Amino acid sequence: MKKLLGTIALSVVAATGPAVAQTYPDQAVTLVVPYGPGGASDLAGRALAETAQPFLGQPVTVMNKPGAGGMNGARSVSDAEPDGYTLLLARVGMALSPAVTPGNAVAWDAYTFLGALEATPMILAVRADAPYDSVEELVTAIGESEGRMTYAASGATAIDGFTTQALLADNDLDPLTAATLVPYKGGGALATALLGGHVDFVAMAAGSLMPHIESGDLKALMVFAPKRMDTLPDVATAAELGYEKAGQIAGWSALYGPKGLSEEVTAKWQDVLAKVATDEKWLELAAKRGSISTIGDVDMSDYAQSQYTLFHGLAKDFGYLPN
Amino acid sequence: MLNEILSALVAVATLQNLLIMIAGIWGGVIVGAIPGMTGTMAVTLALPFTFYMDPVPSILLLVALYKGSTYGGSVSAILIKTPGTASAACTALDGYPLAQQGKAGKALNMALYSSVTGDFISNLSLIFFAAPLAVLALHIGPPEFFMLMLFALTTVAGVSGSSLLMGLVSAALGLLLATVGEDMYGSFRFAFTPDMQAGLSIAPVLIGLFALPELIKLVVMRAAKKEEAAKLGAQHVTRAEFMGSLKTILKGSVIGSVLGAIPGIGPSSAAFFSYGEAQRSSKNGANFGKGELEGIAASESANNGACGATMIPLLALGVPGDVITGVMLGAFMIQGLTPGPLLFQTNIHEVYMLLIGMLVSSVLLFFAGKITMRMFAKVSLIPQTLLTPLVLLLCIFGIYSIASSPFDVAVLLVMGVVGFAMFLLNIPAAPFLIAFILGPMLEENLRRALAISRGEPAVLLSSPITWVFAALIAFVLFITMRREIQKFIAERRVNQ
Repeated sequence: MKKLLGTIALSVVAATGPAVAQTYPDQAVTLVVPYGPGGASDLAGRALAETAQPFLGQPVTVMNKPGAGGMNGARSVSDAEPDGYTLLLARVGMALSPAVTPGNAVAWDAYTFLGALEATPMILAVRADAPYDSVEELVTAIGESEGRMTYAASGATAIDGFTTQALLADNDLDPLTAATLVPYKGGGALATALLGGHVDFVAMAAGSLMPHIESGDLKALMVFAPKRMDTLPDVATAAELGYEKAGQIAGWSALYGPKGLSEEVTAKWQDVLAKVATDEKWLELAAKRGSISTIGDVDMSDYAQSQYTLFHGLAKDFGYLPN
Repeated sequence: MLNEILSALVAVATLQNLLIMIAGIWGGVIVGAIPGMTGTMAVTLALPFTFYMDPVPSILLLVALYKGSTYGGSVSAILIKTPGTASAACTALDGYPLAQQGKAGKALNMALYSSVTGDFISNLSLIFFAAPLAVLALHIGPPEFFMLMLFALTTVAGVSGSSLLMGLVSAALGLLLATVGEDMYGSFRFAFTPDMQAGLSIAPVLIGLFALPELIKLVVMRAAKKEEAAKLGAQHVTRAEFMGSLKTILKGSVIGSVLGAIPGIGPSSAAFFSYGEAQRSSKNGANFGKGELEGIAASESANNGACGATMIPLLALGVPGDVITGVMLGAFMIQGLTPGPLLFQTNIHEVYMLLIGMLVSSVLLFFAGKITMRMFAKVSLIPQTLLTPLVLLLCIFGIYSIASSPFDVAVLLVMGVVGFAMFLLNIPAAPFLIAFILGPMLEENLRRALAISRGEPAVLLSSPITWVFAALIAFVLFITMRREIQKFIAERRVNQ
């Protein structure tokens, strides 16, 4: 009997002990995805929510807050109570927007950087029946067209607009007038515009393009990523081709919180992310999205700063900001 | 091929799949029937569950939710003049007057029969015409899209009620409101607060405009208040009524199937398009908007007709047409299936399973609709004085739940007051909503077309598809003007 009581007492201590010592998290954590459902960022957010939950011990609920190029959702997190229950799935836009439109965006460092999540390659693509087989041929055609050639992008100052503009600038063409930008919303619409032949080329996230490259309807000319994609081993990266500005552009996701998160919250998430990094489901989902997990490989605050500096410099180069 | 179809049939016909589809359809109908809760929400919330399911059941679940919610929107549109989803807005125009006349049962049944027929035809077109429709969809570039949307906008002439002028005023206001927020090139319009930078969402505008004025009417105009609730009345659609609307249902289903196949158009625009077309061609055209069963048939067959067809660009091209199919694309990729031209070669077994499952879910929609209708029809028994505050509460919670945004609730309330003012001034609300939904597509495709042509407007008449729509627009303008002139002459005669 005593033994039994002892066991009960022990197990009560064991059960309540950690709960007393560790108060975060004691309720569900909201992960704000600053873009619409179904896109690459939404999938990354949902994959993180699913895989982090068992390690965190509380559910992670994804909330889509699209609008204003991601700044809507970003602002809602940077303004939120820094209690660790409202976090942000940050994308490259969180460094790009403040660098290009400083007056209208959340500052790049208005957050606590919890960690990098993934790198998402982007691809320069044309239709399979287009007469260009290399970046050089495409760039020559753009130069000769005197601005008549068109490309689809989410916006002039969105990341998929910057890819093309950086490439044009690397080739001493005017980034804003050498080719005509046609704005579309979302990866699917951008890919359709190229598939239907309504625009001449795109330089955008790989996820929406890969099915059409695999089916032979589109041609990949170049990859915007630190290294070649496993699925496109023969397509060179921008850096390999010697493009200085384009070579530095890549997509990524990271986990941010409001500025001033407590030590306890950041430590907990460091621990959770370390476990997610080797989680099979997480790696599998990342591979299916066509992205590369970078948890633990990158110091996020350094990386965010370097990205901001890069885009700020490009924005001045391209003429969006005064020099 | 037959062998493959049979093996897929066996694979689909499991109890688990059937239960998943029943849950999806029924859940969808209920979510769709609740004002403010949308199909997008249902599909997004269900997405994480599919991470742990087999590929085919997970897609079937999402498709079932989509179909169910598109139909469910008609239930609240008819019973409480609050379209559960934007695609049911035209259903409210005729459904609510019918409910007030004590014919709610008839209206609900007609909505269900039209929805199921539209859904079934849409699935058949997905099975037999996916490839040609997908090719057609790719040919719809910005100029063609613009002309198509312009034609859809001519529906305004039909839903203007007694005064075309007031209808045009209403549509102009709707177009104006649609410009709020960030435009496609990144400049801001009417963005007085950070919330307004993101623009106004459809749901609060829709519900504010349709449902709230009813409540305000009740409070302000006490004398006009109805003492008793609308009676359920004759439940069944008679054979004659159904046959009379059959042509409209079939036409609406085809319109839905073709427009649904074009990425970006979606069920709402298809329903407007079909309603406008039915009103022009029906011999009961003059009765549209006053409680005409054919109007419900036109709207509901087209919006559900678009549902199955939105899977055409998704499956055949890997291109999502709207937010819901965007979520489905995500679900496919998570499952390791990549929609697109290769899907029919690499995963033909799964494709057949999916198609068979969708046909089965059309049948399930019929039964889920019948059961839910009985449940919700009881709403008509609640006295208006009690029902209206309940609806208001539901609207506010529903709208808040979409994005936890107090701003959306503010938009809802402001639009309610605007809607009431419009009622007092005799300005019809439907043209406002149609213009508000079509406005962004109209503007964006016009600007895209002009960007591609470098400012040359001739691009808008540069292909056979644009000529067809230009001719249709000219035709509608002609008959509308002729009708107005005849009306004017007739009025003068009466006055003399």
